[in-house]
Amino acid sequence: MNIYKPELMVIKNIIDETKDTRTFKLQFKDEEIAKSFSFKAGQFGEYSLFGEGESTFCIASSPTRSGYIECSFKKVGKVTSALAKLDVGDVIGFRGPYGNYFPIEEMKGKNVLFIAGGIGLAPVRCVIWNVLDLRKDFKAVTIVYGARSVEDLIYKKELDEWQSMPDVKTFVTVDPGGQSNDWKGEVGFVPAIVEKAVQQSENTIAIVCGPPIMIKFTIPVLTKLGFAEENIITTLENRMKCGLGKCGRCNVGNVYVCKDGPVFTYQQLKTLPAEY
Amino acid sequence: MDEKLITLNNLKIFAEELLKANYTLILQDKQGIRWEKISNSDELHISSKLKPTKASFKEFVFSKTEPIFYFNNKNDGVELIDSNLSAEKMVFFGSKPCDAKSINIMSKVFNWDYKDNFFNTKAENSIVIGMLCEYRDEFCFCTSVNLSPVSSDGSDLFLIPTDENNFAIRIVTEKGREFIQPFLKLFAEGNPETTDQIFKKINLPEKGFESEVIRSWIGNNFEHKYFERAGEICLGCGQCAFVCPVCHCFDIVDEECGYSCGRRMKNWDACQFSLFTLHGSGHNPRHNQTQRYRQRISHKFKYYVDKFDEILCTGCGRCSRGCPVGIDIGQIAKEVHSLAANKV
Repeated sequence: MNIYKPELMVIKNIIDETKDTRTFKLQFKDEEIAKSFSFKAGQFGEYSLFGEGESTFCIASSPTRSGYIECSFKKVGKVTSALAKLDVGDVIGFRGPYGNYFPIEEMKGKNVLFIAGGIGLAPVRCVIWNVLDLRKDFKAVTIVYGARSVEDLIYKKELDEWQSMPDVKTFVTVDPGGQSNDWKGEVGFVPAIVEKAVQQSENTIAIVCGPPIMIKFTIPVLTKLGFAEENIITTLENRMKCGLGKCGRCNVGNVYVCKDGPVFTYQQLKTLPAEY
Repeated sequence: MDEKLITLNNLKIFAEELLKANYTLILQDKQGIRWEKISNSDELHISSKLKPTKASFKEFVFSKTEPIFYFNNKNDGVELIDSNLSAEKMVFFGSKPCDAKSINIMSKVFNWDYKDNFFNTKAENSIVIGMLCEYRDEFCFCTSVNLSPVSSDGSDLFLIPTDENNFAIRIVTEKGREFIQPFLKLFAEGNPETTDQIFKKINLPEKGFESEVIRSWIGNNFEHKYFERAGEICLGCGQCAFVCPVCHCFDIVDEECGYSCGRRMKNWDACQFSLFTLHGSGHNPRHNQTQRYRQRISHKFKYYVDKFDEILCTGCGRCSRGCPVGIDIGQIAKEVHSLAANKV
């Protein structure tokens, strides 16, 4: 058994989310693997293009939708730039699923508040669909999502879909200056919108993912609202290579993000050295 | 403890027999740089007084670079071809205790959940013939990290020179016992009490610090200014990780070997490099050298101990002997110990 050897996946669909962010819909080439593959919301994988290398992204689709996975990535380096040139029908490598996951079972019967910024919506989207596909198992669902500008918002079709759902409260915001002339959503930074949109913390789990600066200013807002540290959950996106707890770069203190994470409660994060 | 005796002459015959039986014999080279394979038993030069080579024998079990698979990009898809696992039977001959322990220490991380068979195959195919060590310099500190010049921990067999032309050999593991079985005619029965007497006469390096004190201090002083002392002079060259017998960080990199083919490689990497933890976004959790040096010390004396109950250091002193700016990890540990003792 070669733990570093990927399985092959075929690109079935490509969505250009923004000028530099793409979503791939992927299916395993091998039917047996396709049938046996399963994952949980929050897990990630190593995606590769042979000759270019591997990159780490979360699985952005929900485990409630089987037969395929989706990943979203921003063109920032060698591998993501090469991936961005691919077409439907091309083949890439995938290793996974790796890491821990969001406590969906424990979240049942509770309100769920999703807070995401930028491409940080990718891992949160996986949980959003997981919750919405099992809607009756959860109480109130609130989504707060923000990006720098209207052009930087990802999953735009889904944002509309969530906004049209009567049993989901969705707030989409852009940073001041990032609005277009016809923008009808919120204008303001994510923490400020959370403050405006959310009134209570009782029986509620908050799932937060976004740039470090957004998280830094959102946590105090949640704390002020009365969220207990163990009810604020995030996912860390450290640089990884192996995804298997070996290559040594994703650790925060004695925790390997790829194995012990990437999902952590704020209570757990506080026990770690501030090095993430 | 089972113990045998062997003359220097028979030890050479033993080496000859091993070569005939297709074992690869690997020894410290005469230049003191690295471990090398020998093809003739006349090259068998072992001594308890040798200075540790600049590099350890780590590279033979955890390769500097190795293909993890090959790929062919074809018109109708991609073909992945497995990389062959090495079946070479290796014998590390005359290893100092600070090298002998390395395979067992690294084995923890390569097996704690997912199993790395590139490492495991080589580790399983290895026999470590350790040897009592009589080399000392200001950089050695094995006794501070739960080892000693007479420790057979990590060795399958352990050589003890009894005089210039004679050795006792201890059978330490079952693997060692099976390995030596076909060659027993070259050995005479030994007496462990005699070698115990030899051990007692060995001058042990003074213990410079308590590793548990270091672990606890790091746990409580993550933001301590002391880390800047090494961090500010460290060049980030990574030599310390490369010569270390137990540093095991690696990178995964694709190499193309033609228009449509190539291989994915597992290459040594080092936590002292700034790119090691750099995110795609530009954010870097360890963006300065102090943080990276703190990671090195903390990984060795705290994180690995917390996780795997092993110190990620054998006290061999290689990183300090080779450091271009004179960072001495043993000295740092001593200073941390005194900081802890003075509660500052």
